Amino acid sequence: MKDVVVIGGGPSGVACALTLYEKDFDVGIIEINEELGGLLDQCIHDGFGTKLFNEGLSGPEFVSRFIEKLEKSTVEIMLNSFVKSVNVSGSVKEIICITPNGVKKVKTKSIVYAIGCRERNEYEIFIGGSRPSGVLTAGAVQRLVNLYGILPGKNVIIVGGGDVGMIVARHLFFEGVDNILMVYPEEFFTGLPRNVQQCVLDFDIKYQPQTIVKNVIGNKRIEAVELVKVDKFWNPINGTEKVVKCDSLILSVGLIPYSDKLEEIGAEIDDCTNGPVVNEYYETTVKGIFSIGNLIQIFDYVDDAVETAFIAANGVEHYLKNKTHKKDDFIKLKLGENVNCLTPQRINKITDEISVFFRPGLTCKTPKISLVNKEGKVLKEFSKPFVRPSTLENLKIPLELIINEEEVSLNVRAKEK
Amino acid sequence: MNLESKLRKLVKIENVTFELKDNIVFINGTVKDYNEWIEIGLNIGSLKEVEGVVNNVIWNKNQNSLDKKRNDQRLKIYNSQKNKNAGNYDIIIIGAGVIGCFIARELSKYRNSILVLEKGSDVCLGASRANNGMIHPGISPSFDTLKRKLNIRGNTLYDKICSELDVPFKRVGSLILITSKTFEKYKKKMPGFLYRFVLKKIIPILAKRKGRKNGVKDIEIIKGDKIFELEPWATKEALLALYIPSTGILDPYELTIALSENALENGVNIQLKTEVVGFNKEREKITGVVTSKGTFNCKLVINAAGVFSDEIADLAGSKEFTIHPRKGVEILFNKNVKPGVNHCTAELIIPTPKTSKGGGVNPAIHGNIIWGPTAIEIPSKTDKTVTREEINLMLERYSSVLNKDFPKEKMIRYFAGVRAPTFTEDFIIRPAKWVENLIHVAGIQSPGLASAPAIAEYVLELVQNKGFCKLKNSNFKSKRKGIPTVADMNLDELQKRIEENSSWGNIICTCEMISEAEIVEAINRGAQSIDAIKRRTRAGMGSCQLSYCRLKIANILSRELKIPLNQIIKESSDSTLYDGIVRGEKL
Repeated sequence: MKDVVVIGGGPSGVACALTLYEKDFDVGIIEINEELGGLLDQCIHDGFGTKLFNEGLSGPEFVSRFIEKLEKSTVEIMLNSFVKSVNVSGSVKEIICITPNGVKKVKTKSIVYAIGCRERNEYEIFIGGSRPSGVLTAGAVQRLVNLYGILPGKNVIIVGGGDVGMIVARHLFFEGVDNILMVYPEEFFTGLPRNVQQCVLDFDIKYQPQTIVKNVIGNKRIEAVELVKVDKFWNPINGTEKVVKCDSLILSVGLIPYSDKLEEIGAEIDDCTNGPVVNEYYETTVKGIFSIGNLIQIFDYVDDAVETAFIAANGVEHYLKNKTHKKDDFIKLKLGENVNCLTPQRINKITDEISVFFRPGLTCKTPKISLVNKEGKVLKEFSKPFVRPSTLENLKIPLELIINEEEVSLNVRAKEK
Repeated sequence: MNLESKLRKLVKIENVTFELKDNIVFINGTVKDYNEWIEIGLNIGSLKEVEGVVNNVIWNKNQNSLDKKRNDQRLKIYNSQKNKNAGNYDIIIIGAGVIGCFIARELSKYRNSILVLEKGSDVCLGASRANNGMIHPGISPSFDTLKRKLNIRGNTLYDKICSELDVPFKRVGSLILITSKTFEKYKKKMPGFLYRFVLKKIIPILAKRKGRKNGVKDIEIIKGDKIFELEPWATKEALLALYIPSTGILDPYELTIALSENALENGVNIQLKTEVVGFNKEREKITGVVTSKGTFNCKLVINAAGVFSDEIADLAGSKEFTIHPRKGVEILFNKNVKPGVNHCTAELIIPTPKTSKGGGVNPAIHGNIIWGPTAIEIPSKTDKTVTREEINLMLERYSSVLNKDFPKEKMIRYFAGVRAPTFTEDFIIRPAKWVENLIHVAGIQSPGLASAPAIAEYVLELVQNKGFCKLKNSNFKSKRKGIPTVADMNLDELQKRIEENSSWGNIICTCEMISEAEIVEAINRGAQSIDAIKRRTRAGMGSCQLSYCRLKIANILSRELKIPLNQIIKESSDSTLYDGIVRGEKL
């Protein structure tokens, strides 16, 4: 029986497996594809690792720093393996995998899920019209261009003003697609300022804020889209419709954690993150089952996603060394004013410091960020120069500050005038 | 009063005239809009003696030039193909939807040579693929209709057919809810006590009696908590419900594909991407069907062309009806909605709308939940668009059947299909009036799928009356095996398969757990596009809607068909996934 099995060989998964190996545990890692690396395989642009390694690496470079060590280790790497089901009976977990070598059963004391997320598709943003070919998601396009050398088309409309959309726009421009138009419902680009400059402005890529795709036009291959202007609440403004010709529509409209598999084994799912409810060690509500990376909430930086892997590795160690905590003895960390989602949702009082990632619900300079207890008492205030919904923020909260509370909420308020 | 004078009374719109020939009514002239065009057709079609309405009334100034353009295109192909013999058959079926394929399989039990012509790139591309897969019990159609008769019979045939063809089928039963909306139209027209009495006592009994008279055997009236035990998602407004256990569900494309595979095995030829553009005739007899791929000579033609059946009838010289396309939008929900919907659930509305009223909330055979279809009259036969407004309206409207807590955010896809009703709103299944060797199978709208096996039997009788299909085909194989699925296998069976062929262990679509072996098998059975594979294996039908596995499937197609990745298509030719440009080539 293994001490721990990591499911998913993306950046968080490999980082977690390696850390656990370095802690001397018997570790296995399961990956569905034929090699480790996950999404970073296809991310050939740079900028990865600025926090973790203090340098800007490409995706494959970043992830290979872990993979190379992992391949030299005794960690059992199971490639081409699809996890069909997981049976949890007390402290022993059995993973059933389907592989080209047969059905494989793996017994383990604990599991770390690192299966990431999927891209939102055209149906999830209510795009109307016909359903022809030529409508793709940004990640799939990145894979197509970078791994197969095929371009999606020559007249491209990109939906979404976030980082992925901008990076794909620049990349298509490099590869020779001259006609690119970006549209997004927000007033401004939502990605990092450096990407706005380096991906869009530097190359004069056209963009149209406060715009959504109302309808797709074309029966076989997409021929055009009907764009429409939207108001502050993203409601279409009648009479502003405009048909724009294109041969591809690329969607970069958000990511959804793959939490179905965790739901199947009884883990509680958070409606705000769409990922599992976790504690400060990223343990789910099922004992001995941990969850990290983009599966718990969508990160802006791979460095942050990998941080969850390091923390969860400590959690697994804690669990395997039988330093049990009472599952039901926790402080509830709740969404207060202007916070869209956060992790961890519960705090089992096992680490001295809690790393909280949260997504603010408003855009403002020098907001008042506060931790408030059930009685409404402000426990601590934090300062940030600037917050906005598209940037995930991190806070370190000392346990002693909240140890006697039942629940605390995190609030973000605009600076008083 | 004879039909002529009834019509004279009815057709009072200025600029509209009518002609009557063999109980077929031709209307000509102009009206101001499409609604008027529909209305006049339906009014005439509702007269009992009318056997067909050909609506030649112009509602749109461009109509003539559009028709002319299409006819010119057809004529051009016709002239180039009419003398090219492409083969000789006893019977030609036009259209490879569920009806065409069912007829083909039924006729293949006899010793005749049969050809199915289909203009699409696969079988089942019309209304047959875009419906909710419900096998209706037969409670809704009016008693004197052909629909009613064939629906009742068709429903009973499904257990046998599906077991022969290895198509998943389940009799889930339906619940027809009686709510405060059921009789709303009359609420203000009668005293409250009477309204309540009619709603709670009279309506359920009348509805049950109508069903019984139609030939539906088991109908139960259910009250109170029992409704919610059967259907936890039913709206709390439900007062009573009719429970009909014989209602079934299946996947309509799985059925149609199975029928086509079985027909092929029994000697039927199916020609895809072959469009009928005209007919060669000797006096009132068809001698050959002229298509985009040459002329197929034949002795008998069956018109099962769905929304295009009026155009086929016209080309053959026996236009006896006009199709008025009716779009149905459907919404599909993720399998992980718990609990699922157990029954085909709908609301009873009185009076029953004359045209198909649209579907309710149904379980789908592979565990999803499906809402719809709606029923919207549209001018175009190919308009399968779904607008944002339609989705919002549906999410609102269908909520009245379900409990408010239903997780609408678990919607994973919406789509639309186009039904093929005629103005008489009944099936038109009969020998053509003015061509000797043509049989129309037209106006097949709801409950067309439920009736399909009985339609095939009924057509067989008509074919035999014409002197065909007299000798049994002693080699007929009634059984067909579907593609085995990893999702349904136990571990021992899966292990054995992987030992024989490792691609059973390579999972491509993670949402639905579909292996490479299943995809390759679908390609071996004729799938040549992403969507054709999807319909045969369910790869891409889960919550990610192909965003994860599209490229993987495209790679397998590319390898198996030996064509470059950038030429892989979604459905038809010209629907390449990636527009065919390779990096480094000049744009």
